[in-house]
Amino acid sequence: MKDFWTRFRFNRGAVIGLVILAVVIATAIAAPFIFPTSPWKMVQRPFLPPLTQNGLPLGTDALGRDVLAGLAHGAYVSLLVGLVSTVVALAIGVPVGALAGYFVGRVDDALMRFTEFFQTIPSFALAIVLLAIFQPSLTFVIIAIAIVSWPPVARLVRGEVLSLRTREFVEAATLQGLGNAQIILRHILPNALPPIIVLASLMVAQAILLESSLSFLGLGDPNIMSWGYMIGAARTVIRTAWWLSFLPGMAILLTVLALNLIGEGLNDALNPRLTRKSE
Amino acid sequence: MTRFILGRLIKAGFILLAILIFNFLLIHAAPGDPAAVMAGEAGAADEKFLADLRERFGLDQPLYIQLWTYLQGAVQLDLGFSYRQQMPVAELIADRLPATLLLTGVAFLLSLSLGVLAGVAASARQGSWGDTIISTLALLFYATPLFWVALMAALVFSVWLGWLPGFGYSTVGAGYTGWAHALDVAKHLVLPATTLGLFFTAIYMRMTRASMLEVSRLDFVKTARAKGVKRRVILRRHILRNALLPVITLAGLQAGQIFGGAILTETVFAWPGIGRLMFEAINQRDYAVILGVFYISGAMVLLFNLITDVFYVIIDPRIRLTG
Amino acid sequence: MLRELKFAIAATVASFVLVGPMAAQDGTPQQGGTLNVVIQPEPPGLMVGLIQNGPTQMVAGDIYESLLRYDANLQPTGQLAESWEISEDGKTYTFKLRKGVVFHDGKPFTSADVKFSMDKFLRESHSRMRTYMQHVESIETPDDHTVVFNLKQPFGPFIGIFEPGTAPMIPKHIYEGTDFANNPANNTPIGTGPFKFDEWVKGSYIHLVKNPDYYMEGKPHVDEVYYHVIPDAASRAVAYETGKVDVLPGGSIENFDVPRIRDMENTCITDKGWEYFGPLSWLWINLNNKPLDDVKVRQAMMHALDREFAKDALWNGLGKVATGPLSSSTRFYSDSTPDISYDPEKAKKLLSESSYNGETIRLLGLPYGETWQRWAEAVKQNLTEIGIKVEIVPSDVAGWNQKVSDRDFDLAFTYLYQYGDPALGVSRTYMSTNAKVGSPWNNVANYQNPEVDKMFDEAALMASPDDRAAAYKTIQDQIVSDVPNLWLLELGFPTIYRCNIKNPVNTAFGVNDGFRDVWIEKAK
Repeated sequence: MKDFWTRFRFNRGAVIGLVILAVVIATAIAAPFIFPTSPWKMVQRPFLPPLTQNGLPLGTDALGRDVLAGLAHGAYVSLLVGLVSTVVALAIGVPVGALAGYFVGRVDDALMRFTEFFQTIPSFALAIVLLAIFQPSLTFVIIAIAIVSWPPVARLVRGEVLSLRTREFVEAATLQGLGNAQIILRHILPNALPPIIVLASLMVAQAILLESSLSFLGLGDPNIMSWGYMIGAARTVIRTAWWLSFLPGMAILLTVLALNLIGEGLNDALNPRLTRKSE
Repeated sequence: MTRFILGRLIKAGFILLAILIFNFLLIHAAPGDPAAVMAGEAGAADEKFLADLRERFGLDQPLYIQLWTYLQGAVQLDLGFSYRQQMPVAELIADRLPATLLLTGVAFLLSLSLGVLAGVAASARQGSWGDTIISTLALLFYATPLFWVALMAALVFSVWLGWLPGFGYSTVGAGYTGWAHALDVAKHLVLPATTLGLFFTAIYMRMTRASMLEVSRLDFVKTARAKGVKRRVILRRHILRNALLPVITLAGLQAGQIFGGAILTETVFAWPGIGRLMFEAINQRDYAVILGVFYISGAMVLLFNLITDVFYVIIDPRIRLTG
Repeated sequence: MLRELKFAIAATVASFVLVGPMAAQDGTPQQGGTLNVVIQPEPPGLMVGLIQNGPTQMVAGDIYESLLRYDANLQPTGQLAESWEISEDGKTYTFKLRKGVVFHDGKPFTSADVKFSMDKFLRESHSRMRTYMQHVESIETPDDHTVVFNLKQPFGPFIGIFEPGTAPMIPKHIYEGTDFANNPANNTPIGTGPFKFDEWVKGSYIHLVKNPDYYMEGKPHVDEVYYHVIPDAASRAVAYETGKVDVLPGGSIENFDVPRIRDMENTCITDKGWEYFGPLSWLWINLNNKPLDDVKVRQAMMHALDREFAKDALWNGLGKVATGPLSSSTRFYSDSTPDISYDPEKAKKLLSESSYNGETIRLLGLPYGETWQRWAEAVKQNLTEIGIKVEIVPSDVAGWNQKVSDRDFDLAFTYLYQYGDPALGVSRTYMSTNAKVGSPWNNVANYQNPEVDKMFDEAALMASPDDRAAAYKTIQDQIVSDVPNLWLLELGFPTIYRCNIKNPVNTAFGVNDGFRDVWIEKAK
C-alpha cells in the first residue's frame, strides 16, 4: 500500500487530479448546506451577469436562478451518475468477461458475440433510443449509460482472465478441488483487479461526459440540476449570456480532467510494468 | 484471404440481422407511434383520423408481422418508407449521407493525421517541454465535452469574431454553384469538423505516443540501434510501422462509430446529416428511418472492422487471418 | 425583492412597442419582389384537406381558398363567396359565388366543387369538419354560382368555418372517385389561391409562384414566395439576421431570441393574426386522481401560479394572462369571471384547508422546446413554494401524446386553438360526453358537470347571438369556479418581419391566410 502511494505520488498530474476531485467531492457534499434552498428557486432578475450582485457571484439564469447553487448541486449529480453507472457497467461487464475468459470455447464465443453486438450499435445513438423508450429519469439515465459502456470491461476482463487461467496458482487451486466459482472469485479476479480499477476510473470520466451530452440534448432527468442540463438550457441564449454555458462546461472539463489524471496515476501505480513516464 | 473475407461477411450479415431485430423491438417499445405524433402536430384529431393513419402505415398489424415485413425488405436492401417525410428511407438517407460523410471524413482524417504526428513528435522527445505541452493538450481535449467545445467555438469564431459561419451546411438561399458553392461549404465545415476532430485527435495522439514508447523498448529496436542504424530511419522503419497497429485498430473501430458522435456536432451546428436525421426520427417515432440508420451504421462498423483486419495483414504480414 | 424584480422586467417589456396590422392606407402597393419565409417544421404534405398541421396550413393558405375570410374581430368578409345570407331561423345559409374564378389548372370553380369539398372530401378526411358537418342536413346547388346549406338545427358557429384550413375548396374534377389519401395530385396541390405550387425540394424549400389568372385585380403583388426549411431555431434566427429570410412566423425562433431580433433595424413585430385560433395554454388537472378531485387543492394551485412572471420572463411580455376557459379574442368571451390571479398567501390558506397531504404531483411538460421546459420548471417552483411536492415527468412528442391520451399524469401542459367560437374549440374540452380516454384533445381532465353539459349543448344551437352570449357568460363563471384546469396564458406568438414588407398580417389568421395582400416596398 505504501508502495502504491509512493508510485502514485510520483505522477504530479495524478496528485493535481486528486486535489481537483477532492474539491468537487467536497462541493457535492457541502452543497445542501451552503445552498440549502433548492437550486431551482427563482431568486433574482433573470440573466444577471456574474460579479454584479452580492450573494450571487456567478449571476442568474433564464429564470433568475442562482448559477453558483446550480453548479454546486450539479457536482453531486455528475459524481453520482458517474460512479453508479460505472458500478452497474462493471456488474455486467466483469461477469461476462470472466465467464468468457474462464470457460473459453462455446461460452466464450456466445458471450463475445453478444458483446460484439453491443459494440456494433453506435453507443450514443443506443443511449438516446433507450432514453426515448424509458423516458429520462435519473435511474434510467444511469442504466442507459451502463448499458452502452460495459462492453470494453467485458473485453478487458476476458483478456486478463484468459492469461491468468493458465497460471500455476490457478492450476494449483484446481488440483485442490476448488469449484469454478471459487477459483474465479478468489484467485483470478483479484489478480485481474489493477487494470479494471484503472479502466473504471476512466469510465467514471466517460460517464460524466455522456450524462452531460444526454442532458444537453434534453434527455436528462428534468428534476435534477445537472451541468449538462445547464449548458443545454443556456444554449439558446449563448449570444446574450455566454457565461451560462461557459461555467458548467468548465466544471465538467475540470472534473473529467481530474479523473483522467487520476486514472493515469493509478495506471502508473498499479501496473508499473506497463507505462512509466520516468523511464 | 477470400475465404476469410467471405466468412466474415456472412457473420456480419447475422450480426446486422440481430441489430435490426433488437432495435425494431426496442423502438416499438417506446411510448406513442408515428400516427400519434402526426396527429399531435395537427393539434386535433379524432379516432378515425388516427385509425386511418395507422392503417395506411401498416401499424394496425400485429408486431411480428410488421417485423417480418420489415426484415423481408431489409434483406433485399429495401429500407422501407418514412411515414413522416413521405419518402423512401433509402432516398432520405442518401440525401443526408454526403453531409455526414464529409463532416466525419474530414474530422477523421484531420484527427488521425494530426494525432499521429503529434504523438510521434511527443514520443521522439520524451519528457521535453514539447512533449509536456502536447500531452497536456491531448489530455485537455480528451476531457472536454464535445458539444461544449462546439458551442464555445461557434461563440468565439462565429458570433464574436465573425470569421466563420456558425450554423448550417451552406448559406441559405445564396444560390452558389461550382467553386463558390464548394468554398461556401468548406467555410461551414471548418468549425464542426475541427470540434468533432479534437476529441479523436487526443485519442490518437495518446495512443500513438504510448505505442511508440512501448515499441522503442523492444529488442529489435535495440538491435537496430546497436547496429548503428540512423535514428530517423529507426523511427520511421522500425518503430512507427509497428506502433501504428493499435492505432489502426482503434481508427477502424471509430470510423464506424463516428455516426453516433456526429449527433451532437450536427445538432449544435445544424449540420444536415444522418445524426440529426436519426435524432429527429426517434422523436417522431419514424420507425423505418431509425432502423435504416442503425442498418447503415451497423454495416459501416462491420465493414470497417473487416477493412482494419485486412489492413493489418498488409502492414504486418506475420499476422494470420482466422475467420 | 420580488416586486423589484417584476418592475425590472416590466420596464424592459414596456420599451417594446407592438406594431398593429397595417391597413390599406399604408401607401400604394408596389408590384414585384420575392418573399422569403421560414417554415417550421417541414410539413408532411401540402394537401390541406388531408393534413391540418400548422406548416401545411401556412403554405396551403396561399394555394387554397375558402368561401370567406375573417378580419381581426372575426367578422366574415367575402373571398370565393361574393355575398351570403343566413335565414331568420338560423337553419339556411345561402352563398353566392364569385364568377370567373378558375383553379390553377384552368378549370372553372363552381358550386359543384363546393358541394364536393364539403360533402364528400372533407367529411371523409378532415376530423374537425366531420364534426361540424353533422349539423348539415343537405347541400343544394341551384345553379353554378349558388350554394345552399340546410342545417338540421340552428348552429351559430357555422358561419365561422369557411376558412382555408377548415373548409378549403378542393377541385372536384381532380379528386372525384379517387382514393383521396393516395391521389398523386396531392404532391402538386391545385386550388384557386393567389399563388401556384411550383416546386418542393425536400429539406430545403417550397417554392410558390404568382397566379397570373387570379381573379382579384392587381393581386397578388409579389412574384414568388419561398418557404425555407431550416431545422434549427438558432439557424432560423441567423437566417433572418443575415437577410436570407424576411418573415419569421410565430414560433420560428426561440422566445429567448426574440428581443435580440426585434431590436434589429427595419424589423417589425406583431402578435396579431392569431385571433381565430386564440391559442390558450393551460394545465390539465387529472380529476380522476386524488387529491386533485378536491376543488380547494385546485384553487390553491391556481392562485399559486405567477403567470405574469411567465409572460414576461418566458414570452417577452407577449400574450395575455388567461382569465378562464375562453381566449379574449374568441366570440362571447366574458371578462368578469371569478378572480384567479396570483396570490400565494391565499393559495397557502386554501391548501391548508384542503385534503392535500404531501402527495407528489406529477407534472407533464410540453416537449416543444426551451420555453416550455423553463415554464414547467417555473410552475414546479411556484407550486413548491406553497408546499406542494411536484415532480416533472419528461417526455418527447410521442410520449406526451400517449401519456395524455391514457390519462397517465396529474398535471399536464397543453395549448389548444379555439377556432373563434366556444362551440368549435372550447366545449370539446369541458363536456362530459367528450371525456373518453384515448385522445389528448378532448375532455382530458374528465370534468363532469351536467349543468355545463346542458348549457353548452343549448348555447351551440341558439339562433340569437345575444342569447348565446348570455349562456356562455354563465358557463364561463361556472367553469372558472370549478377550476377543472389551471389556465395559464393566451399565447402571444410574434410574427417578425422586415418593415418594408407590408400587410403580412391583416386577418384573424395572420400568415396562415396567405400573402394575397402583401407587397414589398422597394428602398428609395
